[in-house]
Amino acid sequence: MASLWLKVRAIPGWVWPLLFAVILIILPFIGAPYPIVRQIELTVMLALIVSGVNLSFGYAGELALGQVAMYAAGAYAAGLVSKAGQTDLLVQLAVGALAALTVGFISGVPGLRLGGWSLAMSSFFLILLVPDVLSLFKEDTGGRNGLSGIQPATIFGTPIESEAYYVVIILVGVAWFAVMRNLITSRYGMALKVLKRSPVLAASIGVSVFRTKLSAYAIGAIPAGLAGVLFANLDRFLSPEAFAFSFAMTVLASSIIGGPASVYGAIVGAFILQFGMNQSTTFEEWGLVFTGLFLLVGGVAFGGGIAGVGRSLVRRADRAAKARAGHEPPPVLDAVIEHRDGATLEVEGVSKAFGGNQALSDVSATAKPGQVTAIIGPNGSGKTTLLNMISGFYRTESGVISINGEQIQGMSADKVARAGVSRTFQTPYVPEKLTVHEAVEAGRYGRDRSNLLSSILRLPSYWRVSREDRVEADKALALVGLSGSRDEMADSLPLGNRRLLEVARSLVGSPKVLLLDEVASGLDEDEIEILADIIVKLRDAGSTVVLVEHNFRLVLRLADVIYVLAEGKVMAHGTPDEVENNPRVMEEYLGVTPDEEESEKGGVS
Amino acid sequence: MTIILSGLASGAVYALVAIGYNIVFLSQKTFNFAQASLMMLGTFVAFVGVAVYELPWWLVTIAAGILIGLVAAFQEFVGIRTVKEHYNLLVTTLGASIIMEGVAQLIWGGEPRPVPFFLGSDVLDFLGGRVYPVEIALVVVVVLLVVALKQYGQRSMTGIALLGMSEDSEAAQLRGVNVKRFAFAAFVFTGILSGLLGTFIGPKTYAVATLGVALAIKGFVVLAIGGFGSMGGVLVGGLIVGLTEALAARWIGGDFANLSVFFILILILMVKPTGLFARVRERTV
Amino acid sequence: MSEAPMLEVKNLQTGYGDLKVVWDVSLSVSPGEISVLLGRNGAGKTTTLRAITGLNKVMGGEVIFLGEPLDKAATHERVAKGISYVQEGKRVFKELTIEQNLLLGGFTRGENKRTLTGELKEIYALFPILDEKRHLTAASLSGGQQQMLAIGQALMAKPRLLILDEPSQGLAPVIVKEVFARIHELKATGIGILLVEQDVRDSVAIADHVSVIEMGRATLSRPAKDVTYEQIQAAYFGKVE
Repeated sequence: MASLWLKVRAIPGWVWPLLFAVILIILPFIGAPYPIVRQIELTVMLALIVSGVNLSFGYAGELALGQVAMYAAGAYAAGLVSKAGQTDLLVQLAVGALAALTVGFISGVPGLRLGGWSLAMSSFFLILLVPDVLSLFKEDTGGRNGLSGIQPATIFGTPIESEAYYVVIILVGVAWFAVMRNLITSRYGMALKVLKRSPVLAASIGVSVFRTKLSAYAIGAIPAGLAGVLFANLDRFLSPEAFAFSFAMTVLASSIIGGPASVYGAIVGAFILQFGMNQSTTFEEWGLVFTGLFLLVGGVAFGGGIAGVGRSLVRRADRAAKARAGHEPPPVLDAVIEHRDGATLEVEGVSKAFGGNQALSDVSATAKPGQVTAIIGPNGSGKTTLLNMISGFYRTESGVISINGEQIQGMSADKVARAGVSRTFQTPYVPEKLTVHEAVEAGRYGRDRSNLLSSILRLPSYWRVSREDRVEADKALALVGLSGSRDEMADSLPLGNRRLLEVARSLVGSPKVLLLDEVASGLDEDEIEILADIIVKLRDAGSTVVLVEHNFRLVLRLADVIYVLAEGKVMAHGTPDEVENNPRVMEEYLGVTPDEEESEKGGVS
Repeated sequence: MTIILSGLASGAVYALVAIGYNIVFLSQKTFNFAQASLMMLGTFVAFVGVAVYELPWWLVTIAAGILIGLVAAFQEFVGIRTVKEHYNLLVTTLGASIIMEGVAQLIWGGEPRPVPFFLGSDVLDFLGGRVYPVEIALVVVVVLLVVALKQYGQRSMTGIALLGMSEDSEAAQLRGVNVKRFAFAAFVFTGILSGLLGTFIGPKTYAVATLGVALAIKGFVVLAIGGFGSMGGVLVGGLIVGLTEALAARWIGGDFANLSVFFILILILMVKPTGLFARVRERTV
Repeated sequence: MSEAPMLEVKNLQTGYGDLKVVWDVSLSVSPGEISVLLGRNGAGKTTTLRAITGLNKVMGGEVIFLGEPLDKAATHERVAKGISYVQEGKRVFKELTIEQNLLLGGFTRGENKRTLTGELKEIYALFPILDEKRHLTAASLSGGQQQMLAIGQALMAKPRLLILDEPSQGLAPVIVKEVFARIHELKATGIGILLVEQDVRDSVAIADHVSVIEMGRATLSRPAKDVTYEQIQAAYFGKVE
């Protein structure tokens, strides 16, 4: 039984939806009644729109329902084009997608800068405006009376019969979901998942937050536009009432029920809502109430929707089957680091004030390759501020920060990351819905970008980059000792391992400069040993490691150079011996005055 | 002038919605999309009480306050405190709003129902224009409400606790404020308020199931203009939205009413995303 | 001290989320006593205080106040029992006036505004600068003044146990001396005081009891008269006495 399951699981995931599509296609030819066929057509169109919402809401984390306006744009574009004489469906699909994309960009650029409630409400307003806009151009669009007289669609000159149209709708659906699936399973999808969990983490691996969100929102416009075109040619009549707020709620409910962060969840959700809502007239009257209930229950309980439930069931079955069938553990690679080219990080005369509070005053420091440079100091001394400025999260107003001579102050965090600076965070950010392996791979985002098109079309460059990502991630995991947890969900790791995961992620892209922010805090003795070992290996391999720490013993042990910050200034710097014996350090940092310390220097290891 | 007065009254209604938004937002950083739907239900209670059963208006008002307060309490139990992730609150409050609309539709259908105003429904001549008594009343009510709430916030211990809570919830807890209970009370209060206002809003807008969504969005625009958390800003926002809508409809065309308001919304959000008088300070990284 | 301790912390384990930062801390505070908790940054001092006041979850061990375990009590309930916590970093309500801040300090006692307003003069007597600026917002105060406001706030609650987290942080030495003098005066009122500090000298000078935390564990805990600076310093580096 277990081995059967494993064999079934070995079949590529996309086979099943494809099979489902084939079954759908042959349904009318084996006698399915017309009403069912029509419901399926409507479901596929709904699923397309929902899929667009999933991309921006489920994956990028921004709720906006502008897809309804894009749906309308696609539909009316197709309708008008058809009335003007161009009945070729392929042309209309292209025009419709373009119209939707335009609405997407126009509403996305201002909207995404706002985010949150403002974005959501603006998109609702957009939907409310659809009838008004249509009415403005009523000579062309028929205004509130609707647009009639749309010509039957053709392909390459031949008219499409209604049975054939059914197949066309399904094929368009298949084509889109294939694109969506290729996108989500590529680095782009991973960037979205990281982005949703934490824009800060995303920026630190090189993801440009705004551009990525905009692209998700805009790409999500395309299926809505396609759905609009298909809709226009289905009944050959368009009325503004089809694009009402209640429809937007149906779209949202489908997304939530199916699972917003899933590719095929859109199909599941659309089926449930479309078929569920049309069961009987009573059901229709209760339509709003049920949609609202779906939203309410979905928002409270359903996190990942049906797709999420399905996924965790599959994962559980996998674990059981693997245990039963006794699978071989993945090969453990040598935990060795090849030589890396660290860069020299120079901080010169950097100052930073927040309101009236001078957090840093004229701080200068240098971190060289092949060395561990530590920065220590009490709370409020400016360590974190300095780190945030180097990595681009705070703006630098005065002073210069450079990598091998190239200035990086003033660059946004994602650009700094792409310039080769990698960092960890005091509280490890662990993306949801990614395995440990994928979470580490994410660290390679800033390198070797394979573009969207090659991801969608699965060109050779995609496969090459993909393989490199996998190999490098495996090496990093071996280094931190997490190879065994490779396929577990990243957020199921206990804290100590999450820190090690962060470290693995930060070094997988072979960064020129590695910034470790209090990475030892919360670790027990054994884990600290592993960490110390990695840091030594990195240093010996030529990396530039900057260590911000509270753990004084660890710092004394590992650092080649120590900078002591106090109240925003560099109070002392030098080798561990020099700093340890510096009387001012003793007093300021440890709070002990030198004259009380006449006996042995005590347990400093 | 008639247009202006009518626009001010509409603006007052939107401002009332925004006041509800503000109270919930200040107490628990949540935005309740269903706020306007609660008010919609309030107008229906007013309709049933005043138009159908012809009960005295003050009785209906109090009953509405109690009923809608209960509805709000129920919404809080089921759809607010149960939600773990903050962004899901938009979804659940949307759901609540749609359920309320659906229920109203089931019971009363889709036709707008007129609600008589207790101070008379005859048109008055006022300041050179013609206006309904309810329109004057709405403007008076919203100004009084804003003044009363601001005073309460500054002067009473509960008010000070709420303001403190909205700035720093943890510090407020350490001063002994039961933040959970306060947040709940504030939420229920917006329900009670929505009910009480039913006899004022209903005569202006009619009791109709689809009222919730339109008010919710326009109320949000008021909030965006005036600033999240600012009670005084609500008056400014209401003024701007109400007048823009009315003047645009009259002078440019009915289709442009919503478009003009939308344009103002986008303008404000681009220039000053937290609104003109924002109370909630932006935090740095 | 012969009096029974009002606060007892036994083998406390706590942290943030599932991150355990404090592994084993025990301490006690008796009425009229100043108990000082020392340790370097990141050692777990604030985390311990947060567990005592209910802001962090207790993962092991016990916190007992006035003979009762605090277990499930919510933060505001602990405050009502008589624990007043002045957090580090001068966390006053910057957008409220000084007067509103102080009144809010007394919120837990459930008195009406008039009564509380009457008591303000006691706080103003302690910190006259606050009286001058009573209608200005807390944001307009200097760091030292905000610290005084925070302490004044805590005192308005008429607490049995006053917890102070690094009150000297960011203050000029002269102001620190003044603040510590006030703290010392409070002893006479029978309040128990738990003082967390990085500044060893000034705090140990007024302490009745000294504890040191290092890496989440208490490495020293004894009456102040029985401890020397060398021992404290050694405790900072983890040498268990």
